[in-house]
Amino acid sequence: MLKNYFKIAIAVLRRRKFFTFISLFGISFTLTILMVLTAFIDKVIGDNYPDKKRDRLLYVNRIEQKGKDNMTSGTLSYYFLSHYTGMMKTPVKVAISSGFNGTNTYVNNKKIAVSYKYTNAEFWDVMDYDFTEGKPFNKQEVDNADHVAIISEDMKRQYFGDVGPVVGKYIEADNVNYRVLGVVKNVPVTSYMFFSDIYLPYTVSKADYKSKSYGGGYMGVLLAASKDDVPKMQAEYENLMKRVPVESKDYQHLYSHANSFFRSYVDTGNEASSGVFIVVTAISIFVFIFMLLPTLNLVNINITRIMERSSEIGVRKAFGASSKTLVYQFIVENLILTLLGGIIGTLLSVIALWAINNADLIANLQLSINFTVLFIALLACLIFGFLSGVYPAWRMSKLNVVTALKAQ
Amino acid sequence: MFKHLFKLIWNKKKQNFLLMTEMLVSFMVLFAVFTLMVYYYDNYKKPMGFKYQDVWVININNSYQTKNTDSLDLYYETLRKIIKSLPQVKDLSFVSGNVPFSNQINQGGLTFKGKHIDHLNNFTAEDSYKETMDLDVLEGRWYNKSDAVSKYKLVVIDADLKEATFGKEQAVGKLLGNDDDKKKMKVIGVIQTIKRNGDYVKAGPGLYFRADTGSFRWLSKILVKVSPGADAAFEGKLYKTMAGYMKNSNIEIEHLTNKLKDTNYFAVIPMIVLSIVSCFLIINVALGLFGVLWYNINKRKGEIGLRRAIGATGNSVSSQLVMESMILATLSLIIGSFFAIQFPLLNVFDLSAHIYIIGMLLSIIFVYLLVLVCSLYPGRQAAAIYPAVALHEE
Amino acid sequence: MIRLQNIEKVYRTDTIETLALNSISLDIAKGEFLSIMGPSGCGKSTLLNIMGLLDAPSKGMIKIADKSTENLNDKQLAQFRNKTLGFIFQSYHLINDLQVLDNVELPLLYRDTTAKERKRLATEALEKVGLANRVKHFPTQLSGGQRQRVAIARAIVGRPDIILADEPTGNLDSAMGNEIMEILINLNRNEGTTIVMVTHDENMAQKTHRLVRLFDGSQVQ
Repeated sequence: MLKNYFKIAIAVLRRRKFFTFISLFGISFTLTILMVLTAFIDKVIGDNYPDKKRDRLLYVNRIEQKGKDNMTSGTLSYYFLSHYTGMMKTPVKVAISSGFNGTNTYVNNKKIAVSYKYTNAEFWDVMDYDFTEGKPFNKQEVDNADHVAIISEDMKRQYFGDVGPVVGKYIEADNVNYRVLGVVKNVPVTSYMFFSDIYLPYTVSKADYKSKSYGGGYMGVLLAASKDDVPKMQAEYENLMKRVPVESKDYQHLYSHANSFFRSYVDTGNEASSGVFIVVTAISIFVFIFMLLPTLNLVNINITRIMERSSEIGVRKAFGASSKTLVYQFIVENLILTLLGGIIGTLLSVIALWAINNADLIANLQLSINFTVLFIALLACLIFGFLSGVYPAWRMSKLNVVTALKAQ
Repeated sequence: MFKHLFKLIWNKKKQNFLLMTEMLVSFMVLFAVFTLMVYYYDNYKKPMGFKYQDVWVININNSYQTKNTDSLDLYYETLRKIIKSLPQVKDLSFVSGNVPFSNQINQGGLTFKGKHIDHLNNFTAEDSYKETMDLDVLEGRWYNKSDAVSKYKLVVIDADLKEATFGKEQAVGKLLGNDDDKKKMKVIGVIQTIKRNGDYVKAGPGLYFRADTGSFRWLSKILVKVSPGADAAFEGKLYKTMAGYMKNSNIEIEHLTNKLKDTNYFAVIPMIVLSIVSCFLIINVALGLFGVLWYNINKRKGEIGLRRAIGATGNSVSSQLVMESMILATLSLIIGSFFAIQFPLLNVFDLSAHIYIIGMLLSIIFVYLLVLVCSLYPGRQAAAIYPAVALHEE
Repeated sequence: MIRLQNIEKVYRTDTIETLALNSISLDIAKGEFLSIMGPSGCGKSTLLNIMGLLDAPSKGMIKIADKSTENLNDKQLAQFRNKTLGFIFQSYHLINDLQVLDNVELPLLYRDTTAKERKRLATEALEKVGLANRVKHFPTQLSGGQRQRVAIARAIVGRPDIILADEPTGNLDSAMGNEIMEILINLNRNEGTTIVMVTHDENMAQKTHRLVRLFDGSQVQ
């Protein structure tokens, strides 16, 4: 039976080439956009390089103090993070790093813009950067405030050119010479908590990292011993923050949270508005509107296609096909069409992603199709085919045999 | 005839419902795209307000701090002299962090004569700012040395703020401040609004304050006007000179030209993505409309033949079919406009009403054109139907 | 009223030439009720289409109401059909999405009339066919006979001199058929409308003034 449906479906699609083209165009294009969007989201928030132990991690990237008319919100100071997380029992290790900042360096009268980031030694234990050569700096080197640096592959290429190992060589940034200890794979700038060109020990920072004010340029990542300890760790941080006094009498409340990656990634910087809500709503609205038009279009065309075939339907009904089998037949036909569109869409996505990667819109961001993306595409395909098939099929099953036959 | 077509459409509302929904959604998508485009264009055609070519920004992180204002001033005045003595430097001004094309903002609000002005940018700059930026002074003057001893608190405002507060009247000499402020500021000049968010995004109103003693504590950026030929070698020299003087600071030099490019890039990329996506959506919709209309005409051959028989010309049949689609489009557009008009009425995104209106008009025209193009060919086909054949087909 | 002279109609496809009408000459007087009979495919409908100016003959000349129709353009033809001719079809050709009254008004839409005038004329026409109480119905809510009566009302609403009926009773049972025939006869008698009717039914044909038989495109009687 299914084979029979398949044959008919192909025959129908070939007979009405124009309608088939419209349908396939709509489906494949819609899927391409969805797949690119999925690939992007998947890369930005699903890619767990360099924080591979994500299910054991909690992220602290903001402190907010609020008074009656005023509020201050931003990243934290090194002192605040090390002092208070040092009081916690659950975290095994705490990575502390500054956000990335810019400076310049000049090689052969050529300017190179450099992003630098200060980290503590544990940062390299909590994170799993892929070292293509060398190794991270250790606690000893941090405590000594040694002028050592870890650089990204990108930086290596820009500063040293296409050469062999560079470990042990010196790189000048901010008018200081740093000895290169290691080279790591690039992190896209969209992972703003971990991106940088040069990673330096926080002790060489020119800023006063000992300052006791709460606000500063640093973020923390807490590592739990196991996945099960994460809720406990979160609760401990929350409780701890409740006991931390506000910095000045201008403020009455102090908020700081240890959040999961996604929650901290989309943080709005304001306690009152939830970043998760905004992001999820925005994406849903976009996808909804975006899917609505092609779906409507497909429904329209499907109805047209069905009405055109009303005599075939009449004949089938006259010879004993029930409405149910007809609906079933049509939905199968439509699914075949959508899957066909899905295959084309996947090919288009590969081309689109290749083009986007080549255009280098965002530095170091390499989009790719993986199983998540394919799975979502397949799911979208099925939903799409089903949605656009059901209503026309229902209309079809309502067709009166006599009028359907007469319509020829 | 009109009423007749309307009846025909109304009685087929069930069949036309989907078609109309499709037109409606297309309209809404187009409305969004066109409004954004008009918004960009509206900003694009405004003057930049200053000359950004050959202006560099020096960002100083962790600058020199001391409690003693005199030694603070001495430290930075020395820095100024050092930079200014470099051959290619024409002028420079210490400024607050919210320089053009940067992400930093420093905003407040102002309630003036009962009207609340939001997202008001506060800038601080020096007397030399005018020369460094080559400002366009529309009215009055920029600050000079004599303002240091003024008994009023002086202020320079930009054209946007003047428009919001004084309207078309002259602003210079008038007092500006919150309604409940005792000590108001006196406006001494109006400058062209600097498009600090790049070519395409609105800058918003701005207030400019004069830097005074002690301002160096937080003026974290320096704008430097260099001569046109200044190259990377000179930049390296400038960098070394500064880094040599400010041993404990992180220094970064950026060019406003590049920053403008980046800023525009972030405005244009979403626009391009949106345009490509909606372009395909529209092609999709157009093909669909075309297919459905074409099919409808084939289905209505009998009716068309009849109309021809009882006295309709080929042209009147084809224009009838085109008119029908246009009426459908009109109905969808009326509903769509009802939703669209809510945006300026409720002031959803803080855009001025005319942008929405133009966006709306453009999308209305576009939908009409789209429907016209899609129904023209099927309409022509209908005109070519041979009545004798059509009437005997059934 | 209608004068056909040596009408010939040839249909050409890629390979075959079919002679649908072969040298037909016919004179139909004003006020005459003429029926055309013949087996399927003998060219009756083609002849009617040519008389209705829906189709042009390959050869020959047609004069309707003393007017030569050869050199009329599309617009003039449409005007002529609208003013002088009324059509009735076997399958009614009512527009299902319009109410009865709107269907009847249709011919008036293609000339200069006011909405009020249209409504008055259409109601009048519907009264003549005895359907004054069905104006708000849709065609699908009516029986076959009623539908054909609507079609007649539509044909007469513009007060044409000539009505061309293509098997008007073909889809109806004999009782309904007789009813329709009655209306046509009355129309012919009372208003003096010239009627040309194509039919299969000998009984119906017998009720008309004159009978023309066609066979394979040629007039045999």
